[in-house]
Amino acid sequence: MKTDWLPAAPLTINWAVTNKCNFKCGHCYSRADPFDELDPDVLHTCIERVARSGILSVNFGGGEPLLRKDLMDLAAHASQEGLRVSMNSNGYLIDTDNARELKKNGFSKIGISIDSHKPEVHDSFRGVRGSHERAVKAIYYLNEAGIETSISSVICKINHNDIDPLTDFAVHMRVKQLNVHNFKCSGLGYSNKDELDLTSDEWRQFYIRALEAKQKTKDIDISLDDPIIALLGAGKGDSMVKGSVCGKLSLNIKTNGDITPCGFIPIVIGNIVRDDLKDLWKNSPVLEKMRNKIPTGKCVQCSKFDDCLGGCTARAIALTGDMNNPDPHCWRNED
Amino acid sequence: MKIFRNPDVMWREEDEYKKQALDALEKDDEAADIGTSILYYDGRMLTLNILGTEVWKRCDGRTLDEMVSELIEVFDVSPQVLLKDAAAFLDEMKEKGLISCED
Ligand code: SF4
Repeated sequence: MKTDWLPAAPLTINWAVTNKCNFKCGHCYSRADPFDELDPDVLHTCIERVARSGILSVNFGGGEPLLRKDLMDLAAHASQEGLRVSMNSNGYLIDTDNARELKKNGFSKIGISIDSHKPEVHDSFRGVRGSHERAVKAIYYLNEAGIETSISSVICKINHNDIDPLTDFAVHMRVKQLNVHNFKCSGLGYSNKDELDLTSDEWRQFYIRALEAKQKTKDIDISLDDPIIALLGAGKGDSMVKGSVCGKLSLNIKTNGDITPCGFIPIVIGNIVRDDLKDLWKNSPVLEKMRNKIPTGKCVQCSKFDDCLGGCTARAIALTGDMNNPDPHCWRNED
Repeated sequence: MKIFRNPDVMWREEDEYKKQALDALEKDDEAADIGTSILYYDGRMLTLNILGTEVWKRCDGRTLDEMVSELIEVFDVSPQVLLKDAAAFLDEMKEKGLISCED
């Protein structure tokens, strides 16, 4: 298929519905954001417009989405409009009753953040004692309610040597997927990067182990969304999208309606209340630039550029200010 | 054998590309390279060309023979070639877990 193929609209939207949170994570990208939220009526209209643009799914996030009082209404509305609804949650507020409510109101999939198989490591990283236990229970309740579950783990100093026990834990929890997220250095993640981020060699070693774990684990899918694994000869799975998917398959909407290419890139390209989503998708100069990255520095000579496209755009912007610069996590030596 | 789409797979047709493919077929040009629909599942994406799309749309309980007898009206190829191409496409979809078959 041609590589310049661009769908008429994003396939999916990551939608922050609130920036309120009951956790104190040191890598958070949304706690530094403004707290203004769209009114329910406005949000309902925006959901209708998103559905009419041909978008297939919305993934609610934040913040902790369950702190938004009308979350169930939003989900039910999105689902009625034909959208597949999912969310990312820390799981703290999920119990048997609201797990059933979540199912009833259209949630088909929920990702729970758990960064370590060790409760004390997760609790200290998330800043709330007992959060691991509550997250484990949340997965249990959601599985019982018939919602597909996944575990999302942010890889950093606290867990980079633990991919095998983390995988065993995810299998034991009967989740469908383990989503391994690279550390992005956005929001508070930037302020705490010296303490939390890995060196490029540590990333290399982590991905070698993670790819081995992915290969030998048949019970769950381990999803590695980092373009720089191209350096290890690995693809990102069954997808024709090269480099980051942001701006090519997905967009991000903030609580105030501002649209950004992804939650970790603070460049506002429009607002869902006033702008036409398909028009932005087609004509935004920022998206255009992201889709046509120009290799610079060590990427110029890199044989993997066609697959990696310079790595994670969010990280290049956060740490160098220029999306065309090589991903700072990349371990490839300069020629 | 009845063939069904996996209900977990989200999909949509891409109108602009579909028009391009139909125009190409009209002029006897190559259309196999033009993605006219998009499948999205487990965070993965797959594009289908016009033949794949038309077969995919019919995976609602129809059999391969039923699909071929309908599609022979749309594509200017022999029934044997169409049957072979559609069967190969369905094998690939089955291997990826995107369709299921029922007797
Ligand atoms: S040098 Fe650039 S293109 Fe090559 S792997 Fe590193 S970031 Fe990717």
